[in-house]
Amino acid sequence: MQALLAVQTILAQAAEGVSGNIDNLSGPLALVGYGLAAIGPGIGIGIVAGNAIQAMARQPEAAGVARTTMFLGIAFTEALALLGFVLFFIA
Amino acid sequence: MELILATSECDTTGEVICAPADVLELFEFKRALFSIGPFHFTRTVFLIFLAMLVVLALFYFGLRRQQLVPTKFGLMVESLVQFVRNDIALGIIGPEGAKYAPYLLTIFTFILVGNLFEVTPFVNFPINSRMAIPLFLSLVTYVIFVVVGFSKNGLRYVGDLVWPRSVPIGLRWLVGLIEFVSVFALRPITLAVRLFANMVAGHLMLTLLLVSGWIFMSSVGDIGVRAGIGILWFVFGLGIFVFEIVVAVLQAYIFTLLSAVYVQSSVHPEH
Repeated sequence: MQALLAVQTILAQAAEGVSGNIDNLSGPLALVGYGLAAIGPGIGIGIVAGNAIQAMARQPEAAGVARTTMFLGIAFTEALALLGFVLFFIA
Repeated sequence: MELILATSECDTTGEVICAPADVLELFEFKRALFSIGPFHFTRTVFLIFLAMLVVLALFYFGLRRQQLVPTKFGLMVESLVQFVRNDIALGIIGPEGAKYAPYLLTIFTFILVGNLFEVTPFVNFPINSRMAIPLFLSLVTYVIFVVVGFSKNGLRYVGDLVWPRSVPIGLRWLVGLIEFVSVFALRPITLAVRLFANMVAGHLMLTLLLVSGWIFMSSVGDIGVRAGIGILWFVFGLGIFVFEIVVAVLQAYIFTLLSAVYVQSSVHPEH
């Protein structure tokens, strides 16, 4: 509920900013910031998962180790995306 | 949209579904159900005790020494213990990992039960969505891997970290600095924030979708057939509900796995 209201106020502030008033741009800027911050981890997780699938296909005996390391890699890269998500709400 | 905006001027003592002033309310002190001196008993505190009781009951009733052939419930609990012990503790840390298996099992089960409170029908509140709990668990892991690092390697633990000998001499200070900040500052923070943000995001999405779906559908008398959009939100919310189960188990597993990896990098820093 508060996210719906937050997004609505941010869109109102963005509309104001577009028309020239830059006093209240921290909300829209945080939203844009989160959007930009989600690009890197998205690509990164795709790379990690893709290489893990390739490793599991080339050597099925190593599937267990590859799966564990894939989860590890996904956790590390997803942490950055979630950091952006939380900071969007703080700002 | 008018109906949702209308709830912005409600008073917090009566209304249950109130849009708060700003998002800092996620981090503020909520009114407690009752207080005993300086200890405030909110619903989070009750849920933590409930999670603790569930974990204790799970292990007590599941691992009571039966005959040679265990019951089905005992088999489930045994397979959980074996999973954490073999795949996470021994698999990641090596043969010395058996010492850390009890701790890893404890945090795995506690976080799993706490996360699964998100999808239990009358609770719907993951205890890891209040930052104190993931922060404390991450601090315990931090203390463990720092103390183990110093007790096994002495001062060479920090020495080999900030002055790595396998890096060209010109870059040693940079890699050392990055490693120092990453190990001693970023690891506990990201461990806690990963769990916290996943749970907050899931809780927020479920609250948003299900409650707004319900409000739309229950306002058929006011806005007529346009309330049908509530069905869309509600169904999407139910889909996210199923996804939250996956996220709950995954986040518990990742927290435990990363704790094991950090302990392993303290026990065997040469890797």
